[in-house]
Amino acid sequence: MSDDRENTDRQALAAEHALDMLAGDERDEARKAEASDRTFAGEVARWRGRLASLFDEVEAVSPSSELWNRIEAATDSNRGASNVVALRRSAGRWRAMAVGMTALAASLGLVIIRQPQTGPAPVVQAQGTPLVAMLGDSDKQMKVVASWDPAGRQLVIAVAGDMPADPSHSHELWVIPTGGEPRSLGTMPPVRKMHMRLADTLAQLLKQGATIAISVEPPGGSPSGKPTGPVVVSGSLDQA
Amino acid sequence: MATNVDQPANTMLRRDGELERLLPRVASGDRIALKNLYERTAAKLYGICLRVVGDEAEAQDVLQDTFTTVWTKAGRFDPVKASAITWLSVLARNRAIDRVRARRAPAASLDDAEEVPSDSPSQLDVLERDEDAARLKNCLDELDERARSMIRTAFFDGASYPELARREGVPLSTMKSLIRRGLMRLRGCLER
Repeated sequence: MSDDRENTDRQALAAEHALDMLAGDERDEARKAEASDRTFAGEVARWRGRLASLFDEVEAVSPSSELWNRIEAATDSNRGASNVVALRRSAGRWRAMAVGMTALAASLGLVIIRQPQTGPAPVVQAQGTPLVAMLGDSDKQMKVVASWDPAGRQLVIAVAGDMPADPSHSHELWVIPTGGEPRSLGTMPPVRKMHMRLADTLAQLLKQGATIAISVEPPGGSPSGKPTGPVVVSGSLDQA
Repeated sequence: MATNVDQPANTMLRRDGELERLLPRVASGDRIALKNLYERTAAKLYGICLRVVGDEAEAQDVLQDTFTTVWTKAGRFDPVKASAITWLSVLARNRAIDRVRARRAPAASLDDAEEVPSDSPSQLDVLERDEDAARLKNCLDELDERARSMIRTAFFDGASYPELARREGVPLSTMKSLIRRGLMRLRGCLER
């Protein structure tokens, strides 16, 4: 009787996990069970297969033509030397970020902002003043300037100094609103400068005082949507 | 919703076997294969990302995540278990749901961010059979309207139990028993 009940619960859990509708502890429990219990994992896989026919209802939509370039850059593992050790070494030191960087941030930030826009024309209405964050680790091996133009929802990331690259990891960019949780702004291609146009939901998090941080994540970025690896650099947004 | 117009495209993606040949090449680090795969599947997968996250810029981020994951995890694909388009669709949906959950998650600082393990191998495990599509459709039709609609919302919106309960304005326990009953009935029907 109670075995039947347990069995039914387990079967329901497999379906719920395949739908990924569990939250909190139940989600963790199902993930663990999937990793350790082959029968359960088989049930989940079977549910995924069954439910997949619902994808037939989803209409194909062409993404922006520039997306392939982003993917190509993000998967380009041939560029850059392996230097995860250097990244690891600076892990955990981000809180100790040099106070003296603020002045540097302002000067570097202004340089960035004066550069001509290469992306699409910014949205017309001005929604606040541009902000700059200087991201640096305490060793000052790597400096990154993030400049945020709220009017065009354009975030420009410029890397000065060494940006260690390793094909087995990605750098992921985060915004941490004051008193809030980290939100991913995406993984960073191994380039010196990148422009991003942010979605409204993310754009509203880039306020004065919010922290911009870069962490080391598995290739393709954190699987959980939260930072899992060491933060290599961070800094807070301030007026340019 | 379910349009017949969609069917030929999916059938084509399922049947021509080209995607099944591309994935192992991607797994071996063939960038041209990755580009071919992207050209053939990006629109379908973007449609899925967009359906789940509901925002174009975010959907593009998720699609980027999806393809960078494919680049590193294509070796996990097993053509005996599922078609390539199904496997890729499940992966895209997983990524999209992770994004939606991160957005809805309660506040926590970077300091508190827990060490979450990366995708467990089994999370990309999908077992599909030819008759699944027809069976699922029939069996979903046998459910009562409310359970069917909630299961579809969970699938397409990545809505969790707490989210569904909130949207419907019912206690969490009510939502759970409604959906659990539906899922168990669905299972009974599918295995008939």
